[in-house]
Amino acid sequence: MPTKLSRRDFIRLCAGGAAAISLSSYLAPFMAEAVAAGAPPVLWIQGGSCTGCSISILNTVSPDIEKVLTEVISLRYHPNISAAAGDLAIQEALYKTAEEFKGQFFLVVEGAVPVAADGMYCIIGEKDGQHLTFERAVKEIGSQAAAILNFGTCSAFGGIPATPPNPTKCKPVSEIIKTVPIVNVPGCPPHPDWMIGTIAHVLLYGDVPEVDSFGRPKMFFGGIIHDNCPRRQYFDNAIFAKNFGDPGCLLEIGCKGPIAHCDSTTRLWNGGVNWCIKAGAPCIACTEPQFPGWPMYERIPEMPIAPAMTATIDQIGGVLGAAAVLGIGGHLAGNIATGRIGPKKNDAEKEGDN
Amino acid sequence: MVKQMEDRHSIWIRIFHWTNMIAITMLCLTGFYIHAPESFRLFANMDNARMIHFGMAYLLCVGVLGRVYYAIVADDAKNIVFSVTKDTPKFPSMMKYYLFMADSHPYYGKYNPGQKMMYTGWLFMALIQIITGFVLYKPDMFMAVSGWLGGYMAVRVIHYIVTWLFVLSVLAHVYLDISEGVPVLKSMFTGKIPADFDHGTHEEHAPAPGESIGA
Repeated sequence: MPTKLSRRDFIRLCAGGAAAISLSSYLAPFMAEAVAAGAPPVLWIQGGSCTGCSISILNTVSPDIEKVLTEVISLRYHPNISAAAGDLAIQEALYKTAEEFKGQFFLVVEGAVPVAADGMYCIIGEKDGQHLTFERAVKEIGSQAAAILNFGTCSAFGGIPATPPNPTKCKPVSEIIKTVPIVNVPGCPPHPDWMIGTIAHVLLYGDVPEVDSFGRPKMFFGGIIHDNCPRRQYFDNAIFAKNFGDPGCLLEIGCKGPIAHCDSTTRLWNGGVNWCIKAGAPCIACTEPQFPGWPMYERIPEMPIAPAMTATIDQIGGVLGAAAVLGIGGHLAGNIATGRIGPKKNDAEKEGDN
Repeated sequence: MVKQMEDRHSIWIRIFHWTNMIAITMLCLTGFYIHAPESFRLFANMDNARMIHFGMAYLLCVGVLGRVYYAIVADDAKNIVFSVTKDTPKFPSMMKYYLFMADSHPYYGKYNPGQKMMYTGWLFMALIQIITGFVLYKPDMFMAVSGWLGGYMAVRVIHYIVTWLFVLSVLAHVYLDISEGVPVLKSMFTGKIPADFDHGTHEEHAPAPGESIGA
Protein backbone atom coordinates (compact mmCIF):
# COMPACT_ATOMS: atom_id res chain seq x y z
CA MET A 1 0.00 0.00 0.00
CA PRO A 2 1.51 3.35 -0.98
CA THR A 3 1.94 5.76 1.92
CA LYS A 4 0.73 9.30 1.52
CA LEU A 5 3.54 11.76 2.12
CA SER A 6 2.64 15.28 3.10
CA ARG A 7 4.84 18.16 1.97
CA ARG A 8 6.15 18.58 5.50
CA ASP A 9 7.01 14.87 5.81
CA PHE A 10 8.75 15.02 2.44
CA ILE A 11 10.87 17.97 3.52
CA ARG A 12 11.73 16.20 6.76
CA LEU A 13 12.75 13.11 4.86
CA CYS A 14 14.98 15.16 2.57
CA ALA A 15 16.50 16.94 5.54
CA GLY A 16 17.11 13.66 7.32
CA GLY A 17 18.76 12.28 4.21
CA ALA A 18 20.86 15.40 3.86
CA ALA A 19 21.98 15.04 7.49
CA ALA A 20 22.91 11.43 6.97
CA ILE A 21 25.05 12.07 3.90
CA SER A 22 26.43 15.28 5.38
CA LEU A 23 25.05 17.72 2.83
CA SER A 24 24.82 19.99 5.79
CA SER A 25 24.57 23.20 3.79
CA TYR A 26 21.23 21.95 2.50
CA LEU A 27 20.14 21.47 6.08
CA ALA A 28 20.32 25.05 7.19
CA PRO A 29 17.10 26.31 5.58
CA PHE A 30 15.12 23.37 6.96
CA MET A 31 16.52 23.89 10.43
CA ALA A 32 15.84 27.62 10.21
CA GLU A 33 12.28 26.76 9.25
CA ALA A 34 12.02 24.38 12.19
CA VAL A 35 13.30 27.03 14.58
CA ALA A 36 10.94 29.62 13.13
CA ALA A 37 8.10 27.14 13.63
CA GLY A 38 8.96 27.05 17.31
CA ALA A 39 11.60 24.37 17.67
CA PRO A 40 12.84 24.07 21.24
CA PRO A 41 15.96 25.95 22.35
CA VAL A 42 19.34 24.39 23.04
CA LEU A 43 21.44 24.98 26.15
CA TRP A 44 25.14 24.19 26.19
CA ILE A 45 27.07 23.70 29.44
CA GLN A 46 30.74 22.93 29.94
CA GLY A 47 32.41 21.02 32.76
CA GLY A 48 35.58 18.96 32.98
CA SER A 49 36.67 19.64 29.43
CA CYS A 50 39.26 21.50 27.40
CA THR A 51 36.69 23.47 25.37
CA GLY A 52 37.99 21.59 22.35
CA CYS A 53 34.51 20.40 21.39
CA SER A 54 33.27 24.02 21.32
CA ILE A 55 36.27 24.98 19.22
CA SER A 56 35.49 22.09 16.90
CA ILE A 57 31.88 23.19 16.38
CA LEU A 58 33.13 26.71 15.59
CA ASN A 59 34.98 25.09 12.67
CA THR A 60 31.79 24.02 10.97
CA VAL A 61 32.06 24.99 7.32
CA SER A 62 28.63 24.71 5.84
CA PRO A 63 26.50 26.01 7.40
CA ASP A 64 29.12 28.26 8.99
CA ILE A 65 28.94 28.94 12.69
CA GLU A 66 27.48 32.42 12.30
CA LYS A 67 24.57 31.00 10.37
CA VAL A 68 24.18 28.13 12.82
CA LEU A 69 23.96 30.45 15.80
CA THR A 70 21.88 33.24 14.32
CA GLU A 71 19.49 31.34 12.11
CA VAL A 72 19.66 27.61 12.58
CA ILE A 73 19.53 26.82 16.25
CA SER A 74 18.14 28.76 19.13
CA LEU A 75 21.16 28.48 21.41
CA ARG A 76 20.19 30.26 24.61
CA TYR A 77 23.34 29.67 26.64
CA HIS A 78 26.93 28.81 25.85
CA PRO A 79 29.72 29.62 28.32
CA ASN A 80 32.17 30.78 25.64
CA ILE A 81 30.10 32.50 23.00
CA SER A 82 27.24 33.94 25.03
CA ALA A 83 27.56 37.68 25.48
CA ALA A 84 25.80 37.51 28.83
CA ALA A 85 27.73 36.99 32.05
CA GLY A 86 27.06 36.65 35.76
CA ASP A 87 23.48 36.43 36.97
CA LEU A 88 22.20 37.32 33.54
CA ALA A 89 23.81 34.19 32.12
CA ILE A 90 23.12 31.71 34.92
CA GLN A 91 19.75 32.88 36.21
CA GLU A 92 18.15 34.32 33.10
CA ALA A 93 19.66 32.39 30.21
CA LEU A 94 20.28 29.00 31.80
CA TYR A 95 17.75 28.45 34.56
CA LYS A 96 14.87 30.50 33.20
CA THR A 97 15.04 28.80 29.79
CA ALA A 98 15.13 25.41 31.46
CA GLU A 99 12.04 26.33 33.49
CA GLU A 100 10.18 27.87 30.59
CA PHE A 101 10.80 24.96 28.21
CA LYS A 102 10.71 22.19 30.80
CA GLY A 103 10.76 18.80 29.11
CA GLN A 104 11.20 20.37 25.66
CA PHE A 105 14.66 21.93 25.40
CA PHE A 106 17.80 20.00 24.57
CA LEU A 107 20.85 20.14 26.79
CA VAL A 108 24.31 19.83 25.30
CA VAL A 109 26.90 18.72 27.84
CA GLU A 110 30.59 19.13 27.13
CA GLY A 111 33.05 17.65 29.59
CA ALA A 112 33.00 15.04 32.33
CA VAL A 113 31.34 15.65 35.69
CA PRO A 114 33.74 15.77 38.68
CA VAL A 115 31.90 14.47 41.74
CA ALA A 116 34.71 14.38 44.34
CA ALA A 117 34.36 16.95 47.17
CA ASP A 118 30.70 17.54 46.25
CA GLY A 119 31.70 18.62 42.77
CA MET A 120 33.78 21.56 44.04
CA TYR A 121 36.51 20.78 41.50
CA CYS A 122 34.38 22.32 38.78
CA ILE A 123 32.41 25.48 39.47
CA ILE A 124 30.75 27.02 36.45
CA GLY A 125 29.16 30.08 38.06
CA GLU A 126 27.21 31.44 40.95
CA LYS A 127 23.56 30.96 41.77
CA ASP A 128 21.76 32.69 44.66
CA GLY A 129 25.13 33.66 46.12
CA GLN A 130 26.25 30.03 46.16
CA HIS A 131 28.86 28.24 44.07
CA LEU A 132 27.15 26.48 41.22
CA THR A 133 28.99 23.23 40.72
CA PHE A 134 28.89 21.50 37.36
CA GLU A 135 27.46 18.39 39.02
CA ARG A 136 24.54 20.41 40.39
CA ALA A 137 23.95 22.14 37.05
CA VAL A 138 23.87 18.81 35.20
CA LYS A 139 21.45 17.39 37.75
CA GLU A 140 19.13 20.39 37.87
CA ILE A 141 19.12 21.37 34.20
CA GLY A 142 19.64 17.88 32.80
CA SER A 143 16.70 16.34 34.62
CA GLN A 144 14.36 18.87 32.95
CA ALA A 145 15.66 18.40 29.40
CA ALA A 146 13.89 16.51 26.63
CA ALA A 147 17.19 14.81 25.86
CA ILE A 148 20.83 15.28 26.72
CA LEU A 149 23.36 15.46 23.90
CA ASN A 150 26.82 14.53 25.15
CA PHE A 151 29.31 16.24 22.85
CA GLY A 152 32.78 14.81 23.24
CA THR A 153 34.16 11.63 24.79
CA CYS A 154 34.45 13.25 28.25
CA SER A 155 30.74 13.79 28.79
CA ALA A 156 29.83 10.63 26.86
CA PHE A 157 32.21 8.11 28.46
CA GLY A 158 34.47 9.98 30.89
CA GLY A 159 37.34 10.46 28.49
CA ILE A 160 40.60 12.02 29.61
CA PRO A 161 39.38 13.45 32.96
CA ALA A 162 38.00 10.06 34.05
CA THR A 163 41.15 8.11 33.14
CA PRO A 164 43.00 6.75 36.20
CA PRO A 165 44.10 8.02 38.66
CA ASN A 166 41.13 10.39 38.27
CA PRO A 167 41.62 12.44 41.48
CA THR A 168 38.50 14.52 40.85
CA LYS A 169 36.34 11.40 40.37
CA CYS A 170 35.08 12.48 36.97
CA LYS A 171 32.08 10.60 35.65
CA PRO A 172 30.22 10.51 32.35
CA VAL A 173 26.84 12.24 32.29
CA SER A 174 25.04 8.91 31.92
CA GLU A 175 26.10 8.03 35.48
CA ILE A 176 24.68 11.30 36.84
CA ILE A 177 21.34 11.48 35.01
CA LYS A 178 19.51 8.26 34.30
CA THR A 179 15.98 9.47 33.63
CA VAL A 180 16.54 11.44 30.41
CA PRO A 181 17.31 10.01 26.96
CA ILE A 182 20.99 10.51 26.15
CA VAL A 183 22.77 10.72 22.81
CA ASN A 184 26.54 10.31 22.90
CA VAL A 185 28.54 12.10 20.23
CA PRO A 186 32.06 11.07 21.26
CA GLY A 187 35.31 12.18 19.71
CA CYS A 188 38.28 14.12 20.90
CA PRO A 189 36.96 16.42 19.58
CA PRO A 190 33.84 15.33 17.68
CA HIS A 191 33.52 16.34 14.04
CA PRO A 192 31.42 19.52 13.66
CA ASP A 193 29.10 17.65 11.28
CA TRP A 194 28.38 15.04 13.95
CA MET A 195 27.38 17.75 16.41
CA ILE A 196 25.40 19.92 13.96
CA GLY A 197 23.87 16.79 12.44
CA THR A 198 22.75 15.46 15.82
CA ILE A 199 21.27 18.83 16.80
CA ALA A 200 19.56 18.99 13.40
CA HIS A 201 18.11 15.55 13.91
CA VAL A 202 16.66 16.24 17.34
CA LEU A 203 15.26 19.63 16.26
CA LEU A 204 13.71 18.38 13.03
CA TYR A 205 12.32 15.14 14.33
CA GLY A 206 11.85 16.11 17.95
CA ASP A 207 13.36 12.73 18.76
CA VAL A 208 16.80 11.24 19.34
CA PRO A 209 18.48 9.51 16.37
CA GLU A 210 18.97 5.75 16.18
CA VAL A 211 21.92 4.85 18.39
CA ASP A 212 24.20 1.84 18.85
CA SER A 213 24.78 0.03 22.13
CA PHE A 214 27.12 2.80 23.35
CA GLY A 215 24.51 5.48 22.63
CA ARG A 216 26.23 6.84 19.51
CA PRO A 217 24.16 7.87 16.46
CA LYS A 218 24.45 5.09 13.92
CA MET A 219 24.45 7.54 11.02
CA PHE A 220 27.89 8.83 12.08
CA PHE A 221 29.40 5.96 14.07
CA GLY A 222 28.18 2.97 12.07
CA GLY A 223 31.48 1.97 10.49
CA ILE A 224 35.01 0.95 11.38
CA ILE A 225 37.95 3.15 10.39
CA HIS A 226 39.90 0.09 9.26
CA ASP A 227 37.19 -0.96 6.76
CA ASN A 228 37.42 2.23 4.72
CA CYS A 229 40.98 3.23 5.46
CA PRO A 230 42.88 4.74 2.51
CA ARG A 231 45.91 2.76 3.75
CA ARG A 232 43.98 -0.51 3.82
CA GLN A 233 45.83 -1.94 0.82
CA TYR A 234 49.08 -1.57 2.77
CA PHE A 235 47.57 -3.68 5.54
CA ASP A 236 46.38 -6.38 3.14
CA ASN A 237 49.80 -6.52 1.53
CA ALA A 238 51.53 -6.50 4.93
CA ILE A 239 53.44 -3.28 4.33
CA PHE A 240 53.79 -1.66 7.72
CA ALA A 241 55.18 1.72 8.71
CA LYS A 242 57.93 1.40 11.31
CA ASN A 243 58.25 5.11 11.94
CA PHE A 244 56.03 8.12 11.68
CA GLY A 245 56.10 9.43 8.14
CA ASP A 246 56.75 6.04 6.53
CA PRO A 247 54.40 4.82 3.86
CA GLY A 248 52.46 1.76 4.97
CA CYS A 249 49.77 0.67 7.36
CA LEU A 250 50.12 2.38 10.74
CA LEU A 251 49.06 -0.66 12.79
CA GLU A 252 52.52 -1.36 14.18
CA ILE A 253 52.90 2.18 15.48
CA GLY A 254 49.67 1.90 17.39
CA CYS A 255 46.81 2.57 14.97
CA LYS A 256 43.49 1.61 16.60
CA GLY A 257 41.60 1.79 13.29
CA PRO A 258 40.39 -1.84 13.50
CA ILE A 259 38.47 -1.07 16.71
CA ALA A 260 37.40 2.54 16.17
CA HIS A 261 33.90 3.49 15.07
CA CYS A 262 33.33 6.71 13.11
CA ASP A 263 33.04 7.99 9.54
CA SER A 264 36.14 10.20 9.40
CA THR A 265 37.47 8.02 6.54
CA THR A 266 34.79 9.33 4.21
CA ARG A 267 33.76 12.59 5.86
CA LEU A 268 37.25 14.09 6.33
CA TRP A 269 38.01 17.03 8.63
CA ASN A 270 38.63 20.74 8.26
CA GLY A 271 36.00 21.12 5.59
CA GLY A 272 36.89 17.90 3.81
CA VAL A 273 40.61 18.65 3.46
CA ASN A 274 42.40 16.15 5.65
CA TRP A 275 42.04 13.76 8.56
CA CYS A 276 44.14 11.83 11.09
CA ILE A 277 45.35 8.93 8.94
CA LYS A 278 45.86 11.08 5.86
CA ALA A 279 48.07 13.33 7.98
CA GLY A 280 50.14 10.27 8.94
CA ALA A 281 48.86 9.96 12.49
CA PRO A 282 47.67 6.55 13.72
CA CYS A 283 44.04 6.43 14.82
CA ILE A 284 43.78 6.67 18.62
CA ALA A 285 40.14 5.47 18.70
CA CYS A 286 38.98 8.67 20.41
CA THR A 287 35.34 7.75 19.84
CA GLU A 288 35.53 4.54 21.87
CA PRO A 289 34.29 4.34 25.47
CA GLN A 290 37.67 3.26 26.89
CA PHE A 291 39.62 6.12 25.30
CA PRO A 292 42.32 7.02 26.33
CA GLY A 293 42.96 4.02 28.57
CA TRP A 294 45.55 2.51 26.24
CA PRO A 295 49.01 3.44 24.96
CA MET A 296 48.38 5.51 21.86
CA TYR A 297 51.46 4.58 19.86
CA GLU A 298 51.75 0.89 20.79
CA ARG A 299 49.90 -2.05 19.34
CA ILE A 300 48.98 -3.73 22.61
CA PRO A 301 49.48 -2.46 26.18
CA GLU A 302 52.01 -4.12 28.47
CA MET A 303 50.77 -6.26 31.33
CA PRO A 304 51.45 -5.39 34.98
CA ILE A 305 53.47 -8.23 36.52
CA ALA A 306 54.48 -6.59 39.82
CA PRO A 307 53.98 -3.20 41.46
CA ALA A 308 55.31 -0.56 39.04
CA MET A 309 56.57 -3.25 36.63
CA THR A 310 55.20 -4.22 33.27
CA ALA A 311 56.13 -6.67 30.56
CA THR A 312 54.79 -7.42 27.11
CA ILE A 313 52.68 -10.52 26.67
CA ASP A 314 55.39 -11.87 24.36
CA GLN A 315 58.01 -11.53 27.08
CA ILE A 316 55.78 -13.27 29.65
CA GLY A 317 54.90 -15.99 27.15
CA GLY A 318 58.53 -16.43 26.12
CA VAL A 319 59.71 -16.80 29.72
CA LEU A 320 56.93 -19.28 30.48
CA GLY A 321 57.74 -21.15 27.26
CA ALA A 322 61.42 -21.34 28.18
CA ALA A 323 60.44 -22.56 31.64
CA ALA A 324 58.19 -25.20 30.06
CA VAL A 325 61.00 -26.38 27.76
CA LEU A 326 63.41 -26.58 30.73
CA GLY A 327 60.78 -28.46 32.73
CA ILE A 328 60.20 -30.86 29.88
CA GLY A 329 63.93 -31.41 29.46
CA GLY A 330 64.33 -32.09 33.16
CA HIS A 331 61.40 -34.44 33.19
CA LEU A 332 62.67 -36.24 30.12
CA ALA A 333 66.04 -36.73 31.84
CA GLY A 334 64.20 -38.04 34.88
CA ASN A 335 62.16 -40.39 32.70
CA ILE A 336 65.30 -41.84 31.17
CA ALA A 337 67.15 -42.03 34.48
CA THR A 338 64.34 -43.91 36.17
CA GLY A 339 63.95 -46.18 33.18
CA ARG A 340 60.45 -45.18 32.20
CA ILE A 341 61.71 -44.37 28.70
CA GLY A 342 64.73 -45.55 26.78
CA PRO A 343 67.14 -48.51 26.90
CA LYS A 344 66.45 -49.40 30.53
CA LYS A 345 62.72 -49.71 29.87
CA ASN A 346 62.69 -53.37 28.93
CA ASP A 347 64.85 -54.30 31.91
CA ALA A 348 62.44 -52.50 34.23
CA GLU A 349 59.52 -54.33 32.70
CA LYS A 350 61.28 -57.66 33.10
CA GLU A 351 61.98 -56.88 36.70
CA GLY A 352 58.33 -56.04 37.11
CA ASP A 353 57.35 -59.36 35.57
CA ASN A 354 59.54 -61.24 37.92
CA MET B 1 52.17 -63.21 17.64
CA VAL B 2 49.69 -60.48 17.00
CA LYS B 3 49.46 -58.08 19.87
CA GLN B 4 46.11 -58.06 21.58
CA MET B 5 44.60 -54.59 21.10
CA GLU B 6 41.66 -52.90 22.74
CA ASP B 7 39.64 -49.88 21.71
CA ARG B 8 40.62 -46.56 23.21
CA HIS B 9 39.42 -43.73 20.95
CA SER B 10 36.29 -43.90 18.84
CA ILE B 11 36.41 -42.63 15.26
CA TRP B 12 34.59 -39.42 16.26
CA ILE B 13 37.06 -38.61 19.01
CA ARG B 14 39.88 -39.06 16.53
CA ILE B 15 38.21 -36.92 13.85
CA PHE B 16 37.51 -34.06 16.26
CA HIS B 17 40.97 -34.36 17.78
CA TRP B 18 42.72 -33.91 14.46
CA THR B 19 40.43 -31.21 13.03
CA ASN B 20 40.78 -29.24 16.24
CA MET B 21 44.53 -29.81 16.19
CA ILE B 22 44.78 -28.48 12.64
CA ALA B 23 42.49 -25.55 13.44
CA ILE B 24 44.32 -24.57 16.64
CA THR B 25 47.77 -24.93 15.09
CA MET B 26 46.85 -22.82 12.08
CA LEU B 27 45.02 -20.28 14.28
CA CYS B 28 48.10 -19.89 16.46
CA LEU B 29 50.48 -19.54 13.50
CA THR B 30 48.28 -17.08 11.59
CA GLY B 31 47.47 -15.34 14.85
CA PHE B 32 51.11 -14.67 15.65
CA TYR B 33 51.56 -13.37 12.11
CA ILE B 34 48.56 -11.06 12.41
CA HIS B 35 49.88 -9.88 15.77
CA ALA B 36 53.44 -9.22 14.61
CA PRO B 37 53.77 -9.48 10.82
CA GLU B 38 57.21 -7.90 10.85
CA SER B 39 58.84 -10.34 13.26
CA PHE B 40 56.85 -13.49 12.48
CA ARG B 41 57.22 -13.74 8.70
CA LEU B 42 55.37 -16.92 7.97
CA PHE B 43 52.78 -15.81 5.44
CA ALA B 44 53.01 -13.81 2.23
CA ASN B 45 50.56 -11.13 3.22
CA MET B 46 47.85 -10.15 5.65
CA ASP B 47 45.12 -11.25 3.23
CA ASN B 48 46.23 -14.90 3.25
CA ALA B 49 46.86 -15.01 6.96
CA ARG B 50 43.51 -13.44 7.81
CA MET B 51 41.62 -15.65 5.36
CA ILE B 52 43.19 -18.79 6.88
CA HIS B 53 42.60 -17.42 10.38
CA PHE B 54 38.89 -16.83 9.79
CA GLY B 55 38.41 -20.12 7.95
CA MET B 56 40.14 -22.05 10.72
CA ALA B 57 38.09 -20.13 13.27
CA TYR B 58 34.92 -21.56 11.74
CA LEU B 59 36.50 -25.02 11.64
CA LEU B 60 37.30 -24.69 15.35
CA CYS B 61 33.71 -23.60 16.09
CA VAL B 62 32.41 -26.71 14.34
CA GLY B 63 35.03 -28.87 16.04
CA VAL B 64 34.24 -27.57 19.52
CA LEU B 65 30.49 -27.87 18.97
CA GLY B 66 30.86 -31.40 17.61
CA ARG B 67 33.21 -32.49 20.38
CA VAL B 68 30.87 -31.18 23.08
CA TYR B 69 27.88 -32.81 21.41
CA TYR B 70 29.75 -36.10 21.14
CA ALA B 71 30.85 -35.90 24.77
CA ILE B 72 27.22 -35.54 25.82
CA VAL B 73 25.52 -38.13 23.63
CA ALA B 74 28.27 -40.76 23.83
CA ASP B 75 28.59 -40.33 27.61
CA ASP B 76 32.22 -39.38 27.02
CA ALA B 77 31.94 -36.34 29.31
CA LYS B 78 32.70 -38.45 32.40
CA ASN B 79 36.12 -39.22 30.92
CA ILE B 80 37.20 -35.67 30.18
CA VAL B 81 35.30 -33.26 32.43
CA PHE B 82 37.29 -32.27 35.50
CA SER B 83 35.38 -32.60 38.75
CA VAL B 84 36.74 -30.45 41.56
CA THR B 85 35.42 -32.72 44.32
CA LYS B 86 36.30 -36.08 42.74
CA ASP B 87 39.48 -35.33 40.82
CA THR B 88 41.32 -32.91 43.10
CA PRO B 89 42.08 -35.59 45.75
CA LYS B 90 43.75 -37.68 43.05
CA PHE B 91 46.31 -34.98 42.31
CA PRO B 92 48.95 -35.93 44.95
CA SER B 93 49.42 -39.49 43.67
CA MET B 94 49.63 -38.22 40.09
CA MET B 95 52.15 -35.51 40.98
CA LYS B 96 54.22 -38.09 42.89
CA TYR B 97 54.35 -40.23 39.77
CA TYR B 98 55.28 -37.33 37.50
CA LEU B 99 57.95 -36.10 39.94
CA PHE B 100 59.49 -39.60 40.16
CA MET B 101 58.55 -39.96 43.83
CA ALA B 102 56.52 -43.05 43.01
CA ASP B 103 57.10 -45.75 40.44
CA SER B 104 53.49 -46.14 39.46
CA HIS B 105 50.19 -44.40 39.88
CA PRO B 106 46.69 -45.64 40.64
CA TYR B 107 44.22 -46.33 37.87
CA TYR B 108 42.33 -43.08 37.25
CA GLY B 109 39.99 -44.06 34.47
CA LYS B 110 40.61 -43.13 30.86
CA TYR B 111 42.47 -39.94 31.76
CA ASN B 112 44.30 -38.79 34.86
CA PRO B 113 43.10 -35.68 36.74
CA GLY B 114 45.75 -33.48 35.15
CA GLN B 115 44.62 -34.46 31.68
CA LYS B 116 40.99 -33.91 32.63
CA MET B 117 41.85 -30.48 33.93
CA MET B 118 43.69 -29.59 30.73
CA TYR B 119 40.97 -30.87 28.41
CA THR B 120 38.24 -29.09 30.35
CA GLY B 121 40.38 -25.97 30.41
CA TRP B 122 40.77 -26.15 26.64
CA LEU B 123 37.02 -26.11 26.22
CA PHE B 124 36.80 -22.85 28.17
CA MET B 125 39.85 -21.40 26.45
CA ALA B 126 38.35 -22.26 23.06
CA LEU B 127 35.08 -20.60 24.06
CA ILE B 128 36.93 -17.47 25.20
CA GLN B 129 38.84 -17.40 21.91
CA ILE B 130 35.67 -17.87 19.86
CA ILE B 131 33.84 -15.07 21.68
CA THR B 132 36.72 -12.57 21.72
CA GLY B 133 37.65 -13.59 18.17
CA PHE B 134 34.20 -12.83 16.81
CA VAL B 135 34.12 -9.51 18.69
CA LEU B 136 37.33 -8.51 16.92
CA TYR B 137 36.20 -10.01 13.60
CA LYS B 138 32.85 -8.17 13.51
CA PRO B 139 33.28 -5.18 15.84
CA ASP B 140 30.02 -3.66 14.60
CA MET B 141 27.92 -6.73 15.22
CA PHE B 142 29.20 -7.55 18.70
CA MET B 143 29.61 -4.02 20.05
CA ALA B 144 27.68 -4.76 23.24
CA VAL B 145 29.85 -7.82 23.99
CA SER B 146 32.97 -5.69 23.74
CA GLY B 147 31.42 -3.37 26.31
CA TRP B 148 30.83 -6.21 28.77
CA LEU B 149 34.40 -7.42 28.34
CA GLY B 150 35.90 -3.99 29.02
CA GLY B 151 36.37 -2.63 25.52
CA TYR B 152 38.10 -3.72 22.35
CA MET B 153 41.58 -3.21 23.74
CA ALA B 154 40.83 -5.59 26.63
CA VAL B 155 39.34 -8.06 24.13
CA ARG B 156 42.55 -7.93 22.08
CA VAL B 157 44.66 -8.55 25.17
CA ILE B 158 42.49 -11.47 26.34
CA HIS B 159 42.58 -13.02 22.86
CA TYR B 160 46.35 -12.78 22.73
CA ILE B 161 46.99 -14.08 26.27
CA VAL B 162 44.79 -17.12 25.67
CA THR B 163 46.71 -17.78 22.44
CA TRP B 164 49.88 -18.04 24.51
CA LEU B 165 48.10 -20.33 26.98
CA PHE B 166 47.20 -22.61 24.06
CA VAL B 167 50.80 -22.69 22.85
CA LEU B 168 52.16 -23.48 26.32
CA SER B 169 49.56 -26.11 27.16
CA VAL B 170 49.90 -27.84 23.79
CA LEU B 171 53.63 -28.07 24.46
CA ALA B 172 52.96 -29.89 27.73
CA HIS B 173 50.26 -32.04 26.13
CA VAL B 174 52.49 -33.27 23.31
CA TYR B 175 55.42 -34.01 25.61
CA LEU B 176 53.44 -35.81 28.30
CA ASP B 177 51.56 -37.95 25.79
CA ILE B 178 54.61 -39.01 23.83
CA SER B 179 56.63 -39.60 27.00
CA GLU B 180 54.00 -42.08 28.17
CA GLY B 181 54.89 -44.20 25.17
CA VAL B 182 54.48 -44.27 21.42
CA PRO B 183 51.36 -46.49 21.68
CA VAL B 184 49.54 -43.53 23.25
CA LEU B 185 50.33 -41.37 20.22
CA LYS B 186 49.50 -44.22 17.85
CA SER B 187 46.16 -44.78 19.53
CA MET B 188 45.01 -41.33 18.41
CA PHE B 189 45.47 -42.49 14.80
CA THR B 190 44.33 -46.10 15.01
CA GLY B 191 41.98 -45.85 17.95
CA LYS B 192 43.50 -48.95 19.50
CA ILE B 193 46.03 -49.48 22.27
CA PRO B 194 47.80 -52.71 23.32
CA ALA B 195 45.69 -54.56 25.87
CA ASP B 196 48.65 -54.92 28.20
CA PHE B 197 49.45 -51.19 28.21
CA ASP B 198 50.10 -49.97 31.74
CA HIS B 199 47.26 -47.63 32.74
CA GLY B 200 48.25 -47.62 36.39
CA THR B 201 48.07 -50.05 39.23
CA HIS B 202 44.60 -51.02 40.23
CA GLU B 203 44.34 -50.71 43.92
CA GLU B 204 40.64 -51.13 44.58
CA HIS B 205 39.66 -53.51 41.83
CA ALA B 206 41.59 -55.09 39.06
CA PRO B 207 39.58 -54.99 35.85
CA ALA B 208 39.04 -58.37 34.28
CA PRO B 209 41.36 -59.01 31.34
CA GLY B 210 39.89 -57.54 28.20
CA GLU B 211 37.70 -55.05 30.07
CA SER B 212 37.71 -51.91 28.00
CA ILE B 213 39.22 -48.82 29.51
CA GLY B 214 38.18 -46.75 26.53
CA ALA B 215 35.08 -44.65 26.17
